Amino acid sequence: MRVLSRPESRLGILVSLPFAAFIGLFLIYPVTVVVIKALTPDGHLSADALSRALSGTYRRGFINSIELSLASAVLGGLIGVVLALVVATMSRPRWLHPALESWSAVASQLGGVPLAFAFIATIGTQGLVTRALAEMGLDLRDYGVTVTGFWGIVLVYLYFQIPLMFLVMTPAVQGLRQSWREAAAILGASPLRYWLSVGGPILAPSVLGGIILLFINSFTAYATVFVLNPGGALVPLQIRFLLQGNIITGEEDLGNAIVVWVIALLLLSLIIMTALQRRALKWIHS
Amino acid sequence: MTASRKGFVLRWGFLILIAAYFVVPMLAMARFAFQNVPTALLTRDNVFADWSISGLLTALSNPKIVSSASISFWIAVFAIALNFALLVPLAIVTEVRSPRLRPALTALTLVPWVVPPIALVVGVATTFRAAAPWFLGNTLCLVPFYALWAMPFTYRVLDAGLQAINARTLYEAARGLGASLWTVIFRVLLPNMRAAMVAAAMLTVALVLGEYAFASLLLKSTLPTEMVVYEGRDPRGALALALFVMVITALCLGVVVRLIRRRGVSITVTGF
Repeated sequence: MRVLSRPESRLGILVSLPFAAFIGLFLIYPVTVVVIKALTPDGHLSADALSRALSGTYRRGFINSIELSLASAVLGGLIGVVLALVVATMSRPRWLHPALESWSAVASQLGGVPLAFAFIATIGTQGLVTRALAEMGLDLRDYGVTVTGFWGIVLVYLYFQIPLMFLVMTPAVQGLRQSWREAAAILGASPLRYWLSVGGPILAPSVLGGIILLFINSFTAYATVFVLNPGGALVPLQIRFLLQGNIITGEEDLGNAIVVWVIALLLLSLIIMTALQRRALKWIHS
Repeated sequence: MTASRKGFVLRWGFLILIAAYFVVPMLAMARFAFQNVPTALLTRDNVFADWSISGLLTALSNPKIVSSASISFWIAVFAIALNFALLVPLAIVTEVRSPRLRPALTALTLVPWVVPPIALVVGVATTFRAAAPWFLGNTLCLVPFYALWAMPFTYRVLDAGLQAINARTLYEAARGLGASLWTVIFRVLLPNMRAAMVAAAMLTVALVLGEYAFASLLLKSTLPTEMVVYEGRDPRGALALALFVMVITALCLGVVVRLIRRRGVSITVTGF
């Protein structure tokens, strides 16, 4: 039997009101104003700012940001999955799995300014790896890798993307039952066949969901690229440019419109990710 | 036999490659930061030459760094306090009284994820700059926003903590034995949630130590923004400071991993 008395009956309202007020004031209010301003650039309804936000240099910015995020998400995702699968098959050094999990929890959060500094010391023009390779006659720039360029930034982002994917994938990989593999083998399936018909399809929603998570993670990253290449044509850097120079009339609406597109993109990604994760959970818990 | 041997070599080769990728940048950074040798002269031959922490000590005694570090510290403290004040009662009431609302609340607390710092800063600049200039004038205006981005993982950690201790059963048992509502909260539930609360607090510290976009675009002086400014003056000291901040962040997250694993709760937390 529930024991209820008067103080509890009003408790629900009492604790949710401050929460709602907080979210409303600091999140909903600014976002709503941005959306309204983006939709009414000159005081009346028009899609002008929204379409300008996707043309010219800003279109380039979105394409660059999406390409960069996709490259780091897919690469980080695949390496992370392989890492999770490899570690799952190894039981021998008993410390390996817990050590890797702790390290991933830490490394997946190491981004921003310090990480940019670390890679400048590694593959920057004076970087130790750059110079060590130069001594062997290898120039990283010949392969298109500079710390300010596309693949250089991808390399930096992998530092937090791979551990994040490993963390997300570990429960899913552990959900693959040994008995399924044995059953497949007894029925005469080769390892390749097992991965194509059993393991692959079961892991697929988790892998896709994880890659989308990594995509969101790198699309919104700002500090690292700002330190490495502040003039780059990426959406977060363009937002900074517009925000700091919004004395020019009309530019403010453009900034608002870009933010609307960013939020829409992230919202869509989050919805797809949640749907995929829900599908993936079916196998982990059953 | 040869097949399994090949697998062994492949597996360890892959792991060593990954390990090298993660260790080499840290070592390079450590050499830049702690070797008293001009960076252009750092070679394989002087790996052990002239190590010293003088760069870090100089950085840590810089008045700008000291004041921005103390500001970041207080921002973290207030953000943690604010989040606990908002979310602990909410998580308890939801778990004890209306568990059916839990999925909705989990989804609601995820919303800040969709509006990252680089997006919200535009809205905050356009609204609060006009409506309440005194608010954005104070560095502590960062507190509610950092609390906002800490909300997704704070709620999840608290909720997982409540479920791990069977909060509803505890609540009903204590109430049945005649304990008042406040006794239940302060003497039964909160002491049992200490691990979850410490974990959430440490994650918030990591977030505050890492957030750069929002603070720098609002022209606020926090440890991350001041670190970038300091790099222009003393690159070696800035790298030492960055490594120091990374180690603190790692220690905070290490506490989280320990606490959460001991409670038998697994949570993946992502931030920005």
